[in-house]
Amino acid sequence: MATTITKPETLIGKRIRRREDPRLITGTATYVDDIKMPGMYYAAILRSPHAAANIRSIDVKAALARKGVLTVFTGKDTEHAGSVPCGAALPGLRVPHHHLLALDRVYFVGHPVAVVVATDRYIARDAAELIEVDYDVLPAVADPEKALAEGAPAVHPQWPDNTAFTFHQEGGEVNKAFAEADVIVKQRITSQRLIPMAMETRGVVADFRSADRALTLYTSTQAPHLVRTLVAQILGLDDNRLRVVAPEVGGGFGSKIDTYAEEILLAFLAMKINKPVKWIESRRENFLCTIHGRGHVDYYEIAAKKDGEITGIKLKIIQDLGAFLSLLTPAIPTLSVLMMPGLYRTKAIRADVIGAFTNCMATDAYRGAGRPEATHGIERMVDILAAELKMDPAQIRLKNFVQNEEFPFPTATGLIYDSGDYAAPLKKAMEMVDYDALRKEQAEARTQGKFLGIGMSTYGEICAFGPSPATPAGGWESSQVKIEPSGKVTVATGVSPHGQGEETTFAQITADELGIPLDDVMVVHGDTSLVPYGIGTFGSRSTAVGGTALYFALQELKTKIKKWGAVLLESEDVSLEAGQCICNKTRKSVSFKDIAFAAYRAMKVPAGSEPGLVSTCFWEPPNFTFPFGAHIVVTEIDRDTGDIAIRRYVAVDDCGKILNPLIVDGQVHGGVAQGIGQALWEEAVFDDNGQLLTGELMDYAVARAPMMPWIESGHTQTPSPVNPLGVKGVGEAGTIGASPAVVNSVVDALSPLGVRHIDMPLTPEKIWKLVSSGGAK
Amino acid sequence: MKISGSTQLALPPDQAYQMMQDPEVLAKAMPGCESLELIGPGEYRMKMKMVLASLSGAFEGKVRITDQQPPTSFKLAVEGTGKIGFMKGEGLLKLAPAPGGTDVAYDGDVQVGGTLAAVGQRMIDVTAKLMIKKFFEKLAA
Repeated sequence: MATTITKPETLIGKRIRRREDPRLITGTATYVDDIKMPGMYYAAILRSPHAAANIRSIDVKAALARKGVLTVFTGKDTEHAGSVPCGAALPGLRVPHHHLLALDRVYFVGHPVAVVVATDRYIARDAAELIEVDYDVLPAVADPEKALAEGAPAVHPQWPDNTAFTFHQEGGEVNKAFAEADVIVKQRITSQRLIPMAMETRGVVADFRSADRALTLYTSTQAPHLVRTLVAQILGLDDNRLRVVAPEVGGGFGSKIDTYAEEILLAFLAMKINKPVKWIESRRENFLCTIHGRGHVDYYEIAAKKDGEITGIKLKIIQDLGAFLSLLTPAIPTLSVLMMPGLYRTKAIRADVIGAFTNCMATDAYRGAGRPEATHGIERMVDILAAELKMDPAQIRLKNFVQNEEFPFPTATGLIYDSGDYAAPLKKAMEMVDYDALRKEQAEARTQGKFLGIGMSTYGEICAFGPSPATPAGGWESSQVKIEPSGKVTVATGVSPHGQGEETTFAQITADELGIPLDDVMVVHGDTSLVPYGIGTFGSRSTAVGGTALYFALQELKTKIKKWGAVLLESEDVSLEAGQCICNKTRKSVSFKDIAFAAYRAMKVPAGSEPGLVSTCFWEPPNFTFPFGAHIVVTEIDRDTGDIAIRRYVAVDDCGKILNPLIVDGQVHGGVAQGIGQALWEEAVFDDNGQLLTGELMDYAVARAPMMPWIESGHTQTPSPVNPLGVKGVGEAGTIGASPAVVNSVVDALSPLGVRHIDMPLTPEKIWKLVSSGGAK
Repeated sequence: MKISGSTQLALPPDQAYQMMQDPEVLAKAMPGCESLELIGPGEYRMKMKMVLASLSGAFEGKVRITDQQPPTSFKLAVEGTGKIGFMKGEGLLKLAPAPGGTDVAYDGDVQVGGTLAAVGQRMIDVTAKLMIKKFFEKLAA
């Protein structure tokens, strides 16, 4: 039959609504805590109230005697059950053994000491409180600079200098750059400890079938295969008998990449009691015991010429690591080093990182992971330099950007920036705010004594993690595409989306490549028994790496479809159009549905082919991708209260080719919220004894919708040459661009008072004090 | 956290001083105190219930009275642990004769930890002051 093909509408680039949302907004999604199993037990964890103490004794008798309690385990029971893993390697890195439950000493407030297993979670918690622990309290240290000072209490007695590692990187002629500089600006800049605060706390259900020696672990994670590999290794299980499922995951922001003590502990418990067991982290536990982010004290020095050319950067980073190294803890500040030149051409850099142990929860990857800290630093420094040279902050940036003809651009830190047009988003953002008019308005406002600020950041990022040699656990990604016997398509991906919308974007890619309706495509993920081995979702990698694996799997699948079509059409000259295979000569066609049926019925298998229609691709990226953008923020400061009002927020992001503008905007909005959160409100505060003082949402000011300004989004699109989709990544962009833009804006507002730097968060109290004291240099 | 302040008792200093060493009186006056039992010279075992914002819980601990200089000063140390954390406090109480009774000045340091610190931190200052106020009110009553 000759057919008229109606080419379906291309879906890539369209604002397709997220297919994930109906279940999320109707409350029908299944999270770990929604999983209930017959005969399931519940675990509750007793945690240390001290940041440092020796455990003299633990008495569990009263807890065990409680009706409904099955068992109680302490550190002695898990002593030989391995160490919570750190996957990052650095020369000379000191990795403390991290028992699942504290053995004879606790190292931070919240450190797990004992676990109670009971018939319901309330009994488990009540029984945990009956455990008597006799602590010999020791001095603690919570501040990384104090930890490195002479005579500080040793977090780990075997390493009295509290130094986990030092790291040095240098490129170009730094001494020459500083010797020949016309101007050198210096500043200490902190990037405070933050609490990632996913809406869903962590949780685990472990189910062991002893007859099969098979364990299923349901866990709220960003990287199910990684959890499988690590838990299997640590507990000596066969990985093919361990299934890890990430059901609906209510946000992670990096905090669920790690394999945590509780995931290993629950697997251990399920095998001990041979019953399913559940643990759900409380919000207070989440504050204390899920990784924190940032935690930098940075010392910057920038060398420049009179005309604003940046000739060299020196940076010393003191990274607050916490007491133990979580999965990527020591690697995070090395990402800051890689990102330290930002978008600027300078080839002379010197970085020294000191990783300091403190009696606190570990820091690790939090949205942006090392790049927000670096971007905040360089973008603040460029503004300080501009002020020193009395240059416009936009002009100094335009002067120092890597130029379009220089791509691919090798940086002083050893990266190769893939593609870019760095001036484009800045110019677009300046147009959107009408920059020149704003500066005039600012001058006018200043004559009336008003504090109006205009701040910008031009950020770069490292995304699409990443080439395997540059990552701790492989940087490739996998995808498997199946055309089912019905002709419907199932996409299985190794990435593990938890809010990023790949069920939608991957369906768009598939539908476009195969020329079929979006609704014919189902995307599955997050179950190690359903999808090929994958690395997971973090580092803005899902679409750029996982989407590319899907793209190549689809190319192979198309070849297979054509082979089957050729048999059915009795022609070698066939092509694919709109879900049909067409004979180019006769224009006869056969639908995917008929091809799929033929492929599974397999009456006549094409030569060199096989029954079924399945393709799998494991794709190794040749490079990272390097998105960029410009954010401009207009603020007004109330001199009587110190309140900061964000009057305008303009975000122009270039994340390469845009597959779905709705999702890109959503990612930018969420990222900006967390970036503004860091700039203005959020801070994990510890007292000198290592007690977390911001341990609930009454005290930790996480960004909420009513606190947010209207975000005006703009885009430029510079395709990445690293992958055939041309995409770069956008998951972390907003966070990275936001904090320096906001702080630059506030400093600009207060610059008539001589203010040149303020450390985050810019609380009204801090601003009011500054304004009332007439400013401080 | 530092806590200091002063109050007045309508008793002469030597009587006020003596009262503040009497476990029965102290037990009645200390807010939330359920028992106070002498276990050694100047040392008491204490059980108390503490309420702080959304938190409440039982505490067990010790009260120690040292550096006694009757009737002018003594040091009071309280430490307790409970399911919601721990507290530790130490202070110097000074008594001086005043018209109509005794001036009591106190100056001390309070430390809290665990959930009490993480959740109750913002309330500790005001709660501690309130507890001290109640203590002296009951003592005077």
